[in-house]
Amino acid sequence: MSPDERECADGSRRSVRIGGAGGFWGDRVYAPVELLKHEPLDYIMLDYLAELTLSIMAKQKARDASAGWATDLTDWLRAGGMTELHAQGVKLITDAGGANPEACARAVLEVARDSGWNECKVAMVVGDDIMPRLPVLFELDHPLEHMETGESLAESGERVIAANAYLGAGPIAAALEDGANIVITGRVADASLLVGCMLHAAGWAENAIELGLTRQDPLTDWAPADVDDPLEVLAQWTVAGHLIECGAQVTGGNSTDWETIPELTDLALPVAEVSADGTVVITRAERGGGRVDRRTVAEQLVYEIGDPAAYITPDVIIDMRRITLEETGPERVTVAGARGEPQPDDLKVSAAVEGGWFASSSLLVSGPNAIERAENCDALLRGRLAENEDLVIQSEFIGAGITLPPGVPRRKEMIGDPPEVLLRWAVRSDDRGQVVRFGREVAPLVLTGPAGVAGYGARPKPRRQLRYWPALIPREMVEPLVRIEVLTVSDLPRSVDRLTLVRQRTQRFIERLREELEEREWARPLARRLNPEAKEMLEQGHGQEEAHG
Amino acid sequence: MSDTVWIQLSELAHGRSGDKGDAFNIGLVAHRPEWFPLLKEAVTPDLLRGWFAGMVTGSIHVWELPGIGAINCLLNGALDGGGTTSLRLDAQGKAWGQAVLRLRVPVNRSRAAAAGLSLTTATADQWGGPPL
Repeated sequence: MSPDERECADGSRRSVRIGGAGGFWGDRVYAPVELLKHEPLDYIMLDYLAELTLSIMAKQKARDASAGWATDLTDWLRAGGMTELHAQGVKLITDAGGANPEACARAVLEVARDSGWNECKVAMVVGDDIMPRLPVLFELDHPLEHMETGESLAESGERVIAANAYLGAGPIAAALEDGANIVITGRVADASLLVGCMLHAAGWAENAIELGLTRQDPLTDWAPADVDDPLEVLAQWTVAGHLIECGAQVTGGNSTDWETIPELTDLALPVAEVSADGTVVITRAERGGGRVDRRTVAEQLVYEIGDPAAYITPDVIIDMRRITLEETGPERVTVAGARGEPQPDDLKVSAAVEGGWFASSSLLVSGPNAIERAENCDALLRGRLAENEDLVIQSEFIGAGITLPPGVPRRKEMIGDPPEVLLRWAVRSDDRGQVVRFGREVAPLVLTGPAGVAGYGARPKPRRQLRYWPALIPREMVEPLVRIEVLTVSDLPRSVDRLTLVRQRTQRFIERLREELEEREWARPLARRLNPEAKEMLEQGHGQEEAHG
Repeated sequence: MSDTVWIQLSELAHGRSGDKGDAFNIGLVAHRPEWFPLLKEAVTPDLLRGWFAGMVTGSIHVWELPGIGAINCLLNGALDGGGTTSLRLDAQGKAWGQAVLRLRVPVNRSRAAAAGLSLTTATADQWGGPPL
């Protein structure tokens, strides 16, 4: 039965069913396939991008021009997901494009082609990546000041790894209006994934085109004439998006009630039933465990929010204070009362700046007075590293109260004498050598500290820290440059260019080699020499290709 | 204030926490709508500053969501520079939403009893009573 038939059988106004198929890159990979197989949906949305995911992807893209997006997407599309989307006419909206929406869109098209869906239209939304435009923005006096510290991003120079603006729902709706079956974006506000579906489904985007509006016009202007309060409708849709963008976290995952939530092993994903008038019901896939009630929905409503009177998205600013949650059926919660204020003048930017070096390691400490033994171990390590003045060391005694807030008195009877403590260190320094020296001092504690110390592993490798950098940018600096392109299977190259493939593989190999060499102090000059030579070699390869072409 | 007793926060509310830059939030929802006034009186910026002494470098806010009987606490500058550079195991502050539920918060004894709250584990002072 199609969603249309199901919803209209009882004569009620048809609502749009949108599945929330996951919460981050790392969530259960194949869960979306199960959701599609067993649940009638109109749209399925998937948010893959946490604060720093994009900076990791930007690094991947720099190494390999076809990488830099959430590859989990094509894993589940290949495992039956694409066939389901095709058979059921469900549209997929996802930010899996990350730092490379184009490569992602092409990979998705390859899956479509391989599954025999040659008419599949895949739209990519690009333009969130403002990295190439940073010099111009700085020049135009947009220093992208850190929202918390006020520092100027312009001063971070070459240490900036990625900078992306959070786009809103407009481009997604426009892509759907262009007939896209699948919409691949880079950074967009999480809730906008759902709002984009609704702008299309409820006729706002069509109306905007009829009115001759542009994508830069405020969404409230897109509303058809019979919508009484466009801000309220946008606010309701946005709340629906906020509630399902973390996947199963609204259906019983991460719930205070974990002990009584049924079947967490087979936790169902959420479905939002959303109407043109702003009615929102949160429910869950029929198959599987979990629970949707006032408590699970309330916990997700307050998840990662600031001032509830002004929850800011690119589409609308929401006032959550009067939101009510009502259980209107089994596993059904009706959400009402969200209020909206007009969209903000600025978009949020999420940048990443390369920081110092980081490493962490831990040891198991056992025996009577394990806490005292662990404290002794910690003192020994710190003593042996005393000369490393730039090394910041954080020690945590896991099992001895690290989740008791620091202002709470540590009472012996509260923590007692635990049979063991996990002693964890994390360090950072701008000097890589100091972090390396930390790594060398952990394992020796097994032989040279108190008895009962175990569980050491390999020396931890120093990793670069990435600093998250939130900033604001006027919309007009970003939105006019957003580009939507709809691709079909016929846009794919007919055969794989073998030389390109070899070139990419060589580049990846050399990059890995270079990283390995960088790890060894004596080999670092060699590592530095490797890169330009590799580049030269690749350029020669490129020249050959052109000669053959 | 002699009528004040301290009860475990878990008796009054459930919650969830998460990060926002160098801040984390703790959303707390009263188990019953009629307990919302007790919750918002109990969990104040002062109480939070006491709990998280030495860990929070910025401002602390407690906002109300009366529609669902909840409060939202935001602790700025509490994540050691932010989730991506913090040296803590829980760099995103995701544990605090559950961790604080074991701590004691003050309620007015007679009003709490009238609202149907069980006071069997109530103590006379914040850190008193059996181990948490």
